[in-house]
Amino acid sequence: MSGILPTTINPKSLKADALASFLTLLESVRGKKSLILDRTLSAPLSHIARFSVLQEHGVDNIFWLDDGPQRDTAQRNIIYLIRGDIKNAQAASAQIKKLLQTSEVEFDFNVFLYPRKMLSIEKVFEEEGVLGDVTISEWNLGFIPLEEDLLSIELPEAGYKGMYLHGLPTTVNFSAIALNALQKQYGIYPRIIGKGAQAKKLCDQLIRMRAEAQSSSSADSAATEWAKGETSAFDQLVVIERQTDMVTPLMTQLTYEGLIDEVFGIKNSQAEVPSTLFTASNPKLPANGGAPSIVSTTPINEQRKTRKVVLDGHDTLYASLRDLNFAVVGTTLNKFARKLNEDYEERHQAKTVSQIKDFVSKLGGLQAEHQSLRLHTNLAEEIMNRTQTEFFNRALEVQQNMVASGLDTSTLNQTIEELIVRGVSLDIVLRLLAIECLTSGGMKEKELANFKRLIFLQYGYEHILTLNALTKLDLIFQRGSKTSANATTLQFSSLRKNMRLIVDDVNEQAPDDVAYVYSGYAPLSIRLVQYVIQKRALGTKISTLGGSGWRGAEDILRGIPGDVFDQVQKPDEKSIKTKVLQAARKEVKRTVAVFFLGGITFTEIAALRFIARQESERRKILILTTGIIDGRDIMKTAMDITPSGVSVSAE
Amino acid sequence: MVPNPTTGWERLQDVFYRKRAEYSMMWIDDVDLSEFIVVGAPYGGAIALVRDTSRPMAYRGPEGRQKMILIYSNSGQLISNIPWDKGTIRGVGWTDEEQLLIVIEDGTVRVYNDFYGGFTQFSLGKEAEDHTVSDCKFWGSGFVARLGNGRFVSVARLDEPRPRMLADLSTTALEIHGWALMSPLQTLSRHIEVLVGFNKTVSVIDSIESQDRMLEEGPFSHIAVSPNGALLALYTTYGKVYVISSDFQKKYSEYDTGTLDSPLQVVWCANDSVAVAWESEIRLVGPGGGSLSFYYESRIALIPEPDGIRIVSAERCEFLTRVPEVVVDMFRIGSTAPSAILLDAVEQLEFKSPKADDNIQLIRSSLTEAVDSCIKAASYEPEPYWQKRLLKAALLGKSVLELYSSDEYVEMCEILRVLNAVRYYEAGILISYEQFIRLTPERLIDRLLNRQRFLLALRLSSYLRLPVDKVYVRWACNKVKSSTDDDAAICKTIVNRLKPIPSVSYDEIARTAYDEGRTKLATLLLNHEPRAGRQVPLLLDMEEDEIALVKAVESGDPDLIYYVLLHLKGKYSLAQFFRLVNDKPVASAVVEQLARDDGPELLKDFYYQDDRRADSALVIYRESLLLDDIQDREDKIKLGMKIFQDSKDSYSDAKAMEEHAKLYDWQVTFEKDYKQMFIGLTVAETIKKLFKIGQSSKASKMKSEFKVPEKMFVFLKEGTYPVAKKS
Repeated sequence: MSGILPTTINPKSLKADALASFLTLLESVRGKKSLILDRTLSAPLSHIARFSVLQEHGVDNIFWLDDGPQRDTAQRNIIYLIRGDIKNAQAASAQIKKLLQTSEVEFDFNVFLYPRKMLSIEKVFEEEGVLGDVTISEWNLGFIPLEEDLLSIELPEAGYKGMYLHGLPTTVNFSAIALNALQKQYGIYPRIIGKGAQAKKLCDQLIRMRAEAQSSSSADSAATEWAKGETSAFDQLVVIERQTDMVTPLMTQLTYEGLIDEVFGIKNSQAEVPSTLFTASNPKLPANGGAPSIVSTTPINEQRKTRKVVLDGHDTLYASLRDLNFAVVGTTLNKFARKLNEDYEERHQAKTVSQIKDFVSKLGGLQAEHQSLRLHTNLAEEIMNRTQTEFFNRALEVQQNMVASGLDTSTLNQTIEELIVRGVSLDIVLRLLAIECLTSGGMKEKELANFKRLIFLQYGYEHILTLNALTKLDLIFQRGSKTSANATTLQFSSLRKNMRLIVDDVNEQAPDDVAYVYSGYAPLSIRLVQYVIQKRALGTKISTLGGSGWRGAEDILRGIPGDVFDQVQKPDEKSIKTKVLQAARKEVKRTVAVFFLGGITFTEIAALRFIARQESERRKILILTTGIIDGRDIMKTAMDITPSGVSVSAE
Repeated sequence: MVPNPTTGWERLQDVFYRKRAEYSMMWIDDVDLSEFIVVGAPYGGAIALVRDTSRPMAYRGPEGRQKMILIYSNSGQLISNIPWDKGTIRGVGWTDEEQLLIVIEDGTVRVYNDFYGGFTQFSLGKEAEDHTVSDCKFWGSGFVARLGNGRFVSVARLDEPRPRMLADLSTTALEIHGWALMSPLQTLSRHIEVLVGFNKTVSVIDSIESQDRMLEEGPFSHIAVSPNGALLALYTTYGKVYVISSDFQKKYSEYDTGTLDSPLQVVWCANDSVAVAWESEIRLVGPGGGSLSFYYESRIALIPEPDGIRIVSAERCEFLTRVPEVVVDMFRIGSTAPSAILLDAVEQLEFKSPKADDNIQLIRSSLTEAVDSCIKAASYEPEPYWQKRLLKAALLGKSVLELYSSDEYVEMCEILRVLNAVRYYEAGILISYEQFIRLTPERLIDRLLNRQRFLLALRLSSYLRLPVDKVYVRWACNKVKSSTDDDAAICKTIVNRLKPIPSVSYDEIARTAYDEGRTKLATLLLNHEPRAGRQVPLLLDMEEDEIALVKAVESGDPDLIYYVLLHLKGKYSLAQFFRLVNDKPVASAVVEQLARDDGPELLKDFYYQDDRRADSALVIYRESLLLDDIQDREDKIKLGMKIFQDSKDSYSDAKAMEEHAKLYDWQVTFEKDYKQMFIGLTVAETIKKLFKIGQSSKASKMKSEFKVPEKMFVFLKEGTYPVAKKS
């Protein structure tokens, strides 16, 4: 209310606030309770509250929404924690109805709706005849802090599938709500700039939300909490829509974190790795019990062939490794090992009692580092094995050739053909085909038909559905056959030159350009961000243009699908008092919020961090997204249409 | 002559109380309070007089019967007379929002949202209906009702009332004497608790359990909870008052009233003392066992406030409160507190006496506190004359100080002006500074709007820099309700008046017009609503379905889109429904999603209706993959193919489906012939398996039938990829 805002955005307090408000919500139901959880919410929930914390606040047991409450173990108080969509509401009301009819117990039903209360959900409960039996509250969690510089809404499939495959307005709307909440707390985005058709819609909604909050005091009292905006922590909001750059996420990520993701998959800051990577003498390494998150209460792999490791910035070694190109991870690990060894050796120098005491106090930290070192050495070795396989290298070669030159697709196609015949996993193949379509404006009819046939023969006819979905997603398509009339085809060859996408002499040891994350290819999405906040990185031709925002880039941007926008938001006129303060705060470094609508890859995060380090004198960069995504996730989006149980045949 | 602030101070042990007559009542006809249940809204709000049908009353002609529920201001001005035609009233209460609650014997609860009879209604449920309601206790946002069978029903919120039975009192309870509720704001658990005096003890009940506190001093006929929830006052049937901590761990005081007459009310005066009221006496019992009595000639009613008690009698409306320390220091005769000296300095200054400066020098070291005290004391003074004197003293002190933030001083001046304005008998809101801070300025404005004091509300809103659009909207709603002009004229009046207010919301006004049955006016007004989303629910009620859908899509809010579509889906036939969304891409996508969640049948209907053959075919194909029986599967695939073939575009997909069906055919044969599992394998896997079991001629046949490329075939046969021949 005071109008004086915190000058920096503090993800820690954001997390604490999220936890506090969730616990208040939990406490609103008295006594012991059963929590029935929508699967898609387990990730966000596990980021803010550990299971033990929920237990302390009366949660006796947790069920998945698909399973429903078990009558004999369920508490009298039942809480449904669900994402506000129709299907969930229908499932919940069916379960409630059944319990009401068949059970003697006087249940107390509560529904916590994420991310807010909804008319449509109440309508479903009304239609199902249970509206009178449930108390509906809202769990309005916006961004979840994954790291100090990274906040995510954690939408299922990063919101990509709903937005592009199904054309639903949910992703944009939820993003707008979350961004608006952030803006309320830390001050307005003085400028909203971005690229993409959905991104434009998002910008429009954000601006409208603010306008409505400004005027409608009568409607919601929350409007009065609106931060007065004079001392906004933000410099601007850059919105990049996934669709503007689909090439990047399809490429194989070559940073350490990116490769862990490519090889093992990172979900929810956790990777499932073979348990052989752990030597038996490592009891303290986080197995399932190490981080008792919601997910890990249900052991996924019973044979324990795999174990979950938590990968986040708390592990300092990992924090220093994750954004490096994999090529230099080995040497870095070596250096670290030597240093660690030296630290251990110090014990020989410790002569006096106080020196020994000093050493012992450091020992705990050293042991933790030692364990971390062992884990990452093993991980790196395992990744090394995988990256040295022929398939991996051939696929990589095809990718690199496509983005680098795009010439001579026929040779590349032969390689892809060979990979198919030799049975490389389908998602790798589809990624290559999609990259080819995107970089060269589609495939020739005959070539496409040939690949389809090969895929059907090798991987099964059910992939008719997969390929149709990929066409709908504008990823695999025939040349000159764009489905939607207004969709522009990516002019990759001119972008390659104008946006400096290919950097030939990239230095992986001491990178001077973001292209290091793909060993020579600079992600288009990141180049777009740089166009707005770091023009000099794009070469002299662009840095000499000197205009702000998109100015001067009109022609270049026309070669990328989606609208371009650049909106200024004016601060409120109401708060006069803080004006003085504003003058005093001119010196403070403000934050550029970069929002990736529809998902971001680990490599893009690494690239943005790289830019943040370069720009640290001038500004801070806060990475925001709907979720973390990679090429496999994108292909899965198209593939999960295929029912897995095809071989349910007789006998 | 303005009376000295100390007039009416009375000492109770070591503290002072003051009872101040704030208004002389202006009842229209002589109201006999003994005929009514008198309940006042918290924070100096309106007073409801509800006829107490359990008492005999004087016959005043036929109109008398119509005066069941009367709402008065604190100055005794009739605000409204609410007609009553329902059953016996068992509970009367107010919310913090100044909504009047009436609980009827059969468990029906009416919530009057304004003073003019507009209400919503809900029921306390079957148990209340069966056993009837005996009586009720209220707090700022809910209430608890006691039923005939001795159980309690709580309602925690009124916007979405969910009556909830509290735990059963342990069965041996013979006789309930008195009871009280602790609101969620007063309990440690933050949930409602009820204190029930039965036999000689008290039980605490919440939604889960009841707990006997094992007291022996009872029976307790009255129980009162202090505003902060820390203390309980228990009044025994034999005339004793006990004050104990609310966790029942500590007894603070015990007082014998010396009478066996049952009191009418036992309430707390702030958190300091307990007031016991009989027909014509109020006795204030202090913490140390001291007491103070006030006598009246006729029936009185006490209305507890967080910082004191309102006393309504036939003649006056009074406010009884403890004199705050800072005021005592200021005005006590012979006080040498810095603030008192500062106040004196102002007087000296007016006499142009040099003593003024002497005074200042005297308190130099504690001048800051003196200024603070003057500002604070001003907040407790109801008389503008003394408010001004005190603020003047603060101003003088402040001018001498080198560094002093004036924010508080300025704010106090503003607030006191506002308070004086609303306390004036016309509005008759008897609100203290402390209550104002608790109530919040926004809700004070709401109260003025409830009283239809639009001009004052508007002035105060702008004075306090609060948004004014709410005032305009309420004014417009009132206009819609009361005006007899034709629709166009009303709309014009309203639009002209609201034009200068930035993006004011019309939906509420339009809703009012619609509720009044003026549909055309509603439409006219709704056209001025700038926010698409806001129009949607009303449009649906007005059956402007298509416009509602368009507006929902415009808003970009998926919730609204789903809401409208669910609404329309229930209303129209499927074909009509699909037609309605066909030309709206976003709505169409949402319907598609609804259909996808619903199952393949609806999805097929949807695609069929929209003439999306390829999609239809794919849905059918997909369905086929989930079937268990292989023959069913093939049939279904063929059905899908057929639809595909009707359309021109995706010939290759149709072809692929055909091949898939064919593959199943072959695999069925292989399974029969070789007694091996084949179904579910891909073409490549099938060929590989054929080689493995030595059926290479069948493999070759497959190759030609499924047009397997040579390289793939070689690889399947030999396990090595043929090197490309250089051409």
